[in-house]
Amino acid sequence: MFKIGATVIKELLLLWRDRAGMLVLFVMPALLVLVITLVQENVLRTMGESSTRILLVDKDGQSLGQTVEKKLLESGLVEIIKEIDGREVDEKEAVEAVINSDFQLCIIIPKGITKAVKAKARQVVMKSLSMDDTSAVNKTPGKEIQRPDIAVYFDPTVLGGFRSAILNSLNLVIVGIEIDEKMKVLSRLLPEYINMSIRKEMGPFVPEDLIKDIPGIQLDFSSNPLLEVREKPAYENAFEKTPTSVQQNVPAWALFGIFFIVVPMAGGLIKERHDKTLSRLLTMPVSYITLISGKVIAYVFVCLIQFGLILVIGKFLLPLLGSPMLEIGSDPMALIIITLSAILAATGYGVLLGTVARTYEQASMFGPISIVIAAALGGIMVPVYAMPKIMQKISAFSPLEWGLDAFLDIFVRGGNIKTVLFDVFLLLSFFVVTMFVSWIYFFHKTRNGA
Amino acid sequence: MQIIDTAEKRGETAGEKALVVKDLVKKYKGSSGPALSGLDISVNYGEIFGLLGPNGAGKTTAISIMCALLRPTSGSVTICGVDVLKQPNRIRRLIGLVPQDIALYSNLTLRENLRYFGRICGLKGQELKDRIAECIEIVGLEKKADQRIFTYSGGMKRRANLAAGILHKPRILFLDEPTVGIDAQSRNMILEKLTLLKENGTTMIYTTHYMGEAEQLCACVAIIDEGHIIAEGPPQELIKQAPGHASLRDLFLALTGKRLRD
Repeated sequence: MFKIGATVIKELLLLWRDRAGMLVLFVMPALLVLVITLVQENVLRTMGESSTRILLVDKDGQSLGQTVEKKLLESGLVEIIKEIDGREVDEKEAVEAVINSDFQLCIIIPKGITKAVKAKARQVVMKSLSMDDTSAVNKTPGKEIQRPDIAVYFDPTVLGGFRSAILNSLNLVIVGIEIDEKMKVLSRLLPEYINMSIRKEMGPFVPEDLIKDIPGIQLDFSSNPLLEVREKPAYENAFEKTPTSVQQNVPAWALFGIFFIVVPMAGGLIKERHDKTLSRLLTMPVSYITLISGKVIAYVFVCLIQFGLILVIGKFLLPLLGSPMLEIGSDPMALIIITLSAILAATGYGVLLGTVARTYEQASMFGPISIVIAAALGGIMVPVYAMPKIMQKISAFSPLEWGLDAFLDIFVRGGNIKTVLFDVFLLLSFFVVTMFVSWIYFFHKTRNGA
Repeated sequence: MQIIDTAEKRGETAGEKALVVKDLVKKYKGSSGPALSGLDISVNYGEIFGLLGPNGAGKTTAISIMCALLRPTSGSVTICGVDVLKQPNRIRRLIGLVPQDIALYSNLTLRENLRYFGRICGLKGQELKDRIAECIEIVGLEKKADQRIFTYSGGMKRRANLAAGILHKPRILFLDEPTVGIDAQSRNMILEKLTLLKENGTTMIYTTHYMGEAEQLCACVAIIDEGHIIAEGPPQELIKQAPGHASLRDLFLALTGKRLRD
């Protein structure tokens, strides 16, 4: 233990003085988490997962425009802007703002639409009651009224999902308005229609009391739905709120950062081999396993600090920059176990790379590229479910996929130690296999001088 | 200055050799010929034994096998009566290595390097502190001991390399070209310190390309070429036995030829 401790202290001292290594270990992952989470947050906004600023030009200024605005705000999907630089925008300026990508879309409510909708509702209801233009209750006789339009201008770069979400929301709002308007007309016309029908059939013999007692329609139909769609989490212990991009990005890129320790770790091993400090150590009363264990412990310690730093960024710094706050997952103990397993897997890979690579250049090229590939396969950049079937099968062999899956279980799905056990087992197996292969390779190549 | 304990304290028995190498053969995979082919060496306690030879003669391979870094294809090596191949862990307590390269952590100071290597050798507490101070004094780097190695000159690095090799008082010290590429002053100092170590009973196996150093320092030398010994004995006797050669350098060139080696 004393010799392992001495190696740990030596490694930490060397790392502390290695500016490039520190950059790779701390600054780069921290920047990655910051930049990618903030960028992703914006992408998710444009895809509708959080509120987006849209321009609304209400040329009508009547009740319909106000209802559209109110209902859209209630959906939580958008933040409505009606003024630029303290001045109300007109349709031309609004479209220009969309063309300039200042806004992703604008909604134009045309002049006279409230009046037109009311007239159209009346016409439709009358039609449904089979009342012709010449009937007594028809106060708007004449030709068919054109259906009024609400125009939506989209920036062409707006993604399909968000475009559909906005259009669907608008359609829902319009359906609600339509039902309300039709019901209002119906509640007014129906007693008249019944009265008229009774009089028509019975003539002057109808008692006045009977006509007075015909009930009107009082109910607000649009705000009393018969059915409801409720979103439910698949996991038992899921969070109350929908997971944010921070919740998914921070653990994903923290894992990516952890695996980047292979570069300084492999570099250190290669340097020791090249400058013969390893030869000197191997002539001393210490085993290779002791030396490697000291190295692994030192890097585990450093990676834990790195991971802690990234969690602090997610918890305290990202909210200052406008992102949601990171919530430490459902099972902190499981989180520690996953983190340690992922770090061990990364150190195992670092030892393997440092043992097999002949030069620092080889390790510094192959290491990062292999990690980027493993990260891409592991779903850090694109979710695994969005990959082609063949890639999904390959991704099952990426240690980053095991780590990410386990992290998302805790950070997003509300899992616990039981749900992550298999991933932890895979990560630890990867560590054992890489260390064993490194040991065999080292003794075969070094001791036999092959 | 008492650097190494007396022979009695070290448990040396009369007639026992410090190092015995018998019929050592080493073939590297993919290599056309053997790096060592039947090397035999015998070194007495307290002796400096010079291993001389041109580039590629097999000196570094021989030292690597003697230090338990490489396994030979065949043959045996015994150090202080302990079989290197069977008991490499015991051997590591007896030997010290000063490699041809500066085998130190360049981003650590000399004191930090020595502290680490000392701990790895099992030294602790006051004993470790005393040995570090002693070794730093031996190589004359007291004023620079707390500077990082990369700031050292070539000569200082070589002296620091020596300090790390003698830190744990090895019974046998292997020195692989310890004076290569340094100025006359640093070389002279290293040779003085090696003489002092010899006087205090350390056995040394010394490889060098500087024949003058070997003449000055070694009680016995072996000239090896293509993996086997072509001449062996005390330097002066070897010169006497070869008429027409005024120095070890002349003899060396006569034996190994003037053809350039890669």
